[in-house]
Amino acid sequence: MRKYFAVFTMQIINNLAYPGDFLGRSISIGIFLFIFAGLWKTTFTIAGTDSINGLTFANMMWYLMMAETIELGRPRINRIISEQVKNGEVAYILSKPYNFVLYHFSFGLGDGVMRIIVNLIVGLGVTWILAGPPPTALGWAMALVTMIFAWILHFCMMALIGLAAFLVEETNSFELIYQKLVFILGGMLLPLDMFPVWLQQIARLLPFPYMMYAPARLFVKPDFDLFWQMLAGQLIWVGILVFALSVAYRGSEKMLTVNGG
Amino acid sequence: MSAIEVTNIHKTFQTKRKAAGLRASTRALFKPEYSTVDAVRKLSFQMEAGEVLGFIGPNGAGKSTTIKMLTGILHPTDGEAKVLGYVPWKERQKLAFHIGTVFGQRPQLWYHLPAIDTFTLFGKIYELDDRETQKRIDFLCEAFEIRDLLETPVRKLSLGQRMRCEVAASLLHRPKLILLDEPSIGLDVVAKQHIRDAIRRMNQEEGVGVLLTSHDAGDLEALCKRVIIVNHGQIVYEDKVSNLKRKHLTTKLVEVRYAQEVPADFHLDGVEILKVGRYGVKLRFDTNQTPVDTVMSHLSNVGELVDITISDPPLEEVIAKVYKEGPA
Amino acid sequence: MRHLKFLFALWKANLQAAMEFRSAFLTQVVFMFVNNGAYFLFWVLYFDKFNEVRGWTVNDMMLLFGISATAWGIAAFFFGHFTTLAEVIIQGRLDYYLSLPRPVLLHVLASKSIGSGFGDIIYGIFSFLISGYLTPDGFLRYLLGVMTGVCIFIAFLTIIQSLTFWLGNTVALSQIALSAVLTFSLYPSALFDTTTKFILLTIIPAALIGTVPAEFVRSFTWLALAQLLAGALIFLFGAVSIFRLGLRRYESGSAIQVEV
Repeated sequence: MRKYFAVFTMQIINNLAYPGDFLGRSISIGIFLFIFAGLWKTTFTIAGTDSINGLTFANMMWYLMMAETIELGRPRINRIISEQVKNGEVAYILSKPYNFVLYHFSFGLGDGVMRIIVNLIVGLGVTWILAGPPPTALGWAMALVTMIFAWILHFCMMALIGLAAFLVEETNSFELIYQKLVFILGGMLLPLDMFPVWLQQIARLLPFPYMMYAPARLFVKPDFDLFWQMLAGQLIWVGILVFALSVAYRGSEKMLTVNGG
Repeated sequence: MSAIEVTNIHKTFQTKRKAAGLRASTRALFKPEYSTVDAVRKLSFQMEAGEVLGFIGPNGAGKSTTIKMLTGILHPTDGEAKVLGYVPWKERQKLAFHIGTVFGQRPQLWYHLPAIDTFTLFGKIYELDDRETQKRIDFLCEAFEIRDLLETPVRKLSLGQRMRCEVAASLLHRPKLILLDEPSIGLDVVAKQHIRDAIRRMNQEEGVGVLLTSHDAGDLEALCKRVIIVNHGQIVYEDKVSNLKRKHLTTKLVEVRYAQEVPADFHLDGVEILKVGRYGVKLRFDTNQTPVDTVMSHLSNVGELVDITISDPPLEEVIAKVYKEGPA
Repeated sequence: MRHLKFLFALWKANLQAAMEFRSAFLTQVVFMFVNNGAYFLFWVLYFDKFNEVRGWTVNDMMLLFGISATAWGIAAFFFGHFTTLAEVIIQGRLDYYLSLPRPVLLHVLASKSIGSGFGDIIYGIFSFLISGYLTPDGFLRYLLGVMTGVCIFIAFLTIIQSLTFWLGNTVALSQIALSAVLTFSLYPSALFDTTTKFILLTIIPAALIGTVPAEFVRSFTWLALAQLLAGALIFLFGAVSIFRLGLRRYESGSAIQVEV
């Protein structure tokens, strides 16, 4: 356990060494929130109501802030994993006395934690200015819990995509598509509540809402029914994806021993 | 007409002085201190048309700065220069049509494309018509022996092959003068030979002037009749290569072998004995102190000479000595 | 113009280089298409719910997207170095261009091609075609808008990155500027307040690239035409001037990166 913690802390320190990076990211969050504030303010003004599908303007902004935070904190390990597969390093790593998956988990977590914290701080500031005070403590609590599982789900997907490098030359395109699926079906750009009903139903069958919509939505309007529903969904998908990941992992091990790296 | 005329060219750079420590750094932010670097000081020289001139010096001597000024990439702080009749920093584009450059560290050929594609592109850059370009490519292929390399992507060529293509590319538009900055860096002996032969051939057949900077004394010996040695931004030596060796180093290395065993107390006045073997001797002497004739007669008196080798010290030594001595 | 032949030769070389990695090129193009389509789906869902915003419908969004994406695609595909000019300057790669007898800025810009830009071009055209604004003069106005967009994209980024001559490393700044101008160009400025609208017409000319040409295609106005032409000319002039000034500084050696 200690070695994974070491990897985790090392990544945090690593990220701290590049403050300029944070500035860049903060500005992109700022731009994103600013633009969407413009969009939703206009939308609410035209609609003439205070809330649409149960969400107010302030709700929308905080929703987006949380969604953006999760997106930017996503573990980018797929690139690392596919690099390691492509240049054969993976064979070397698999022979080391630590678990490949756990290693990348700690790495991604260390990497993501810093980004999440920065995003939260900047996003908090910007959104407060644009839309007023943040949601209640309950909202924070529910968001935090579901965020953890959302992150785990992201991790599994990213790892699967990374391991796909065993089969396909270029995996970055998969990441791009996955990102877009999360954007739309995960409710990052538009909360599921605003989808046409048929689309909502389809989306809920897929893992994406549990990766993004769940924490963001619970953040702005904490609701115990929804909380248990989302949590259940998350746990189911965590089960499925972790299983898929272990299958893929074992498959990769076999591929390595057969092909010799 | 000279190909290059440089008069008292001077180049100073101002670099921000970077102090260590937080306080110094913040002070530097508001009141930056500059230190002046004299890269090139009052340099003057001439190069004739069709000449092969060597321009050598240690790192930081001001070679690259001078070359950049000659190609118009850099403006001098002071002084004048004319290359092929143009003032380089004022008429850079016009001059560019008549000169070629090869920077050993900065490739011109597009990395992912076969060399032929860069050649074709250069044809367009230099406004040659297609037939001219093709004829030129054919000629260069022959001169540089790169015919079968042309269709291979440059990234797959060895360094030696790439440099040959690079030098060939610099000659596509029939420049009157090419400036080669470290063309043989990183090449093996055979590749170096290849490049030197090709350059020599171009110089002889087409009268292309060559200004060559190099760390490699071998380039010098193989190609240049005249050499300019710079150090600390100034010219420290300017003469023919042959004179360089003759005047500056008068040491000779001699190795002899005898038919009989060499006496154990082998000794010669005015000569430094480096090694005494059973049948052979290795020695060194200064021709200024001890005439060659004396040494030779002594040696032949000792016994029946079976083999003899007389060599000059390597040019490197000569040059290193010149660097140390400063302006002649 | 003699430089036109030269440009074509550069573009041909870029295309050849891209073809060396054919499958990667194709994948890039396809995925750029998919990528843009996803953003587009957001608008479809939004307008499915809200019908129209300040006179803008889903068709207008398609039009806007079409113009911006095509402009970006052309700039990226034909003048790819406009996003990496700062790096070229810092790495001393300008010397190569300076030693050749061609206008330096043009040569640098056209010496690289961003493959995925081609996907944006195709997507942009497609988006315009399905927007319902395809009429003979609508198409002409679209072309004009795209052309001025290309000029402004490139000129704006060139101005920012030319600051490298004075400030040293501006890679981070350039990336922020790029992301700002690109992102904002995909949204109608009708969403924002007056100050922002003004900024988007001047300091971060995203509106000149997106909203203004879109409105221009919807209906011809002299004001829009003037804004587009003036914008393009001013920015181009600014870019060339600032780059030239910077280049002079570089040639005097007092800019960054001194190599003795």
